[in-house]
Amino acid sequence: MNRVTIELWLWLGEELKGDFESRSEMCSAREEVIEEGISIGDLLIRLADRYHPIAQKLFDKRGKEIHPNFVVTYNDRVISPQIVFKQVLKDGDKITIIPMYTGG
Amino acid sequence: MGIGGYVKKVLRADLSSERVSIEELEPSFIEKWVGGVGFGAKYLYDEVLPGVGWSDPKNRMIWASGPLAGSGVYGAGTFNVVSKGPMTNLAGSSQANGFFGAFLKFSGYDAIILEGKAPSLVYLVISNGRAEIRDGRPWAGKDIWETEDGLRKELAVKKGDVSIFAIGPAGEQGVFYSSIVGDGGHVAAHNGLGAVMGSKNLKAIVAYRGKRNFEVKDPERLKEKNAAQFEVAKVAGPIFRWGTGGAFSALYGIGCLPVKNYTTNIYPEHERMNGQYMRNHFEIRPKPCYICPVAHCKEVTVTEGPYKGFKAEEPEYEQLAAWGPQIGNSELGAVVMLSNEVDRLGMDANEASWTIGWTMECHEKGIFSRNDLDGLDMKWGNVEAVKAMLNKIAKREGIGDLLSQGVMRASQKIGGEAADCAIYALKGCTPRSHDHRGGRWAELLDTCLTNTSTLESMRGPVQPELVGLPPVSDPFSPEEVSTINAKLNGIGQFEDCLGICRFASPDPKLQLECVNAVTGWSLSLEDVFSIGRRVINQLRVFNFRHEMKKEDEKPSKRYGSIPTDGPAIGKNIMNKWESMVENYYTLMGWDAKTGRPLPKTLRELGLEELIKDL
Repeated sequence: MNRVTIELWLWLGEELKGDFESRSEMCSAREEVIEEGISIGDLLIRLADRYHPIAQKLFDKRGKEIHPNFVVTYNDRVISPQIVFKQVLKDGDKITIIPMYTGG
Repeated sequence: MGIGGYVKKVLRADLSSERVSIEELEPSFIEKWVGGVGFGAKYLYDEVLPGVGWSDPKNRMIWASGPLAGSGVYGAGTFNVVSKGPMTNLAGSSQANGFFGAFLKFSGYDAIILEGKAPSLVYLVISNGRAEIRDGRPWAGKDIWETEDGLRKELAVKKGDVSIFAIGPAGEQGVFYSSIVGDGGHVAAHNGLGAVMGSKNLKAIVAYRGKRNFEVKDPERLKEKNAAQFEVAKVAGPIFRWGTGGAFSALYGIGCLPVKNYTTNIYPEHERMNGQYMRNHFEIRPKPCYICPVAHCKEVTVTEGPYKGFKAEEPEYEQLAAWGPQIGNSELGAVVMLSNEVDRLGMDANEASWTIGWTMECHEKGIFSRNDLDGLDMKWGNVEAVKAMLNKIAKREGIGDLLSQGVMRASQKIGGEAADCAIYALKGCTPRSHDHRGGRWAELLDTCLTNTSTLESMRGPVQPELVGLPPVSDPFSPEEVSTINAKLNGIGQFEDCLGICRFASPDPKLQLECVNAVTGWSLSLEDVFSIGRRVINQLRVFNFRHEMKKEDEKPSKRYGSIPTDGPAIGKNIMNKWESMVENYYTLMGWDAKTGRPLPKTLRELGLEELIKDL
């Protein structure tokens, strides 16, 4: 089993207080224990099944695609949405979901 | 049946003779060019011939609003200034919000054309179909706030009775990146258009509030679509809640925050420097533009730190980045102070900050000694030295004279290693205060290839899905970035013809519904792209006639460098630069090698008359 951290930035974690620990004014996080071979996309779907706000905000209506208004970073590196379902998670990894912003 | 949304009059002010005249706008002209940057592009092309430089009295400035300004659309008080500007010595179009766009029309004009050069400093007053050129000498050397307050006093009017846009000492002195600032902190910042105004000895333009004096064809439909647009504005983005500064940490997360002149992308202080922190900890008061319920503009009072008690316009994202990470500062109150300072002096915060950051890096590397910098200790984060340097630049005093020319020219003059550290696009365009080497390659490409001297295709983040195009799947894909930039191009320039704010009117399809309701037209989204592309091509042919070089459509060495740390480490946009540019040219209907618009493209856009000029 592997332990990975999921961070939700800005307002994404607001409705998930209690399930996600507030680490600062703009970052909520939780640790997940996952099996070997799970990809970033698999984990995000799992979280979306469990937490309605994530399903509502992060995925578009077509389902398994991350809404274009979000960027995913993997261990603090921006990754393409195209490889979200290919990148297998390792112990100690960190996934950060960052909402994009009109303006600025 | 006439067209709704227009006064159908243009004011021409010949500053050399200090005479004004009024010209009627023909319906065919209005339909083809719509307003704002469209009007500006056409007048600039027809009246500023090759060989006329930015400071030549023969240069024109066109201040134009659009059909939605003052129509009842929320936040529609916007206008464009179009001229040949000093940063590029090519066309420049810069937009400002506030009230002026609506008041211009209420005063009796859709646009003002400024030509010539006044014998001494003057200002222009417009009200109720009349225009007067008045003595501006008492305001010589005054900053923006002093000028606004003083003119209101002289005219015996209160705040809200008039809209005033002026230049500060920087514009009068010919600082290359001078801006035009008004309504307490709204700025037409790009391509040094404040310096053009200064070269004409024009200190300010004052427009009275007046009343709506044009027809809205379908008021009920407008009311419905405007209300729908407000609902989108409330939920579409966090601007409503956090202002543009709310983007700060999100941009840090994707490697787009400029830190110490692109020498790093690490800035752990970002959470104490963002819009969320400011609105949660500082005192905030709404300061909305013309009938804007979104009210993302605020007044702020600093409540902690060495600048406690300092009160000013709340810095937008670009100022937060410019006076925070880019200069190595992590004191948020100092950002408020420096943002106020650069606006007060009348300079573009983006270019000022690239110039200051470059100076700091050169100082760190020993290229500039403290003596070279007139005794100022320009180490990273020394905000009081930055304040002093901004004042020297505005007066073109000592080292400030070199820095007043902007980072491209200053770095080229110093040469050597200093030249390699400067951030700019080779045409002279100033990037906005991001690190575009992160997840904003699209904006880097747009900044280098633009014909307006600022964003042409983009709306900030790339959102092709708003106009029915597929969303971005990979922000680092050269093919995808260049394709989306080309396919999206047109919508932004159409928007800049309308006199609206994109934060209050975020949905392009609802914008179009509002245009049709006001004017009585039946434009489609396809028409919108065509109008926007017509404006772009008009400006592009203007630029080629004014000696734009295809070879200059690329970033400086530092602007196009590879991030050495942070979220975008190792990403290299220059690997496929030439193929990106060729793909973009091709999709825009331009020659793939030269970038010149093809005759077929110009014909399709109704610009046949330009073919001979190329």
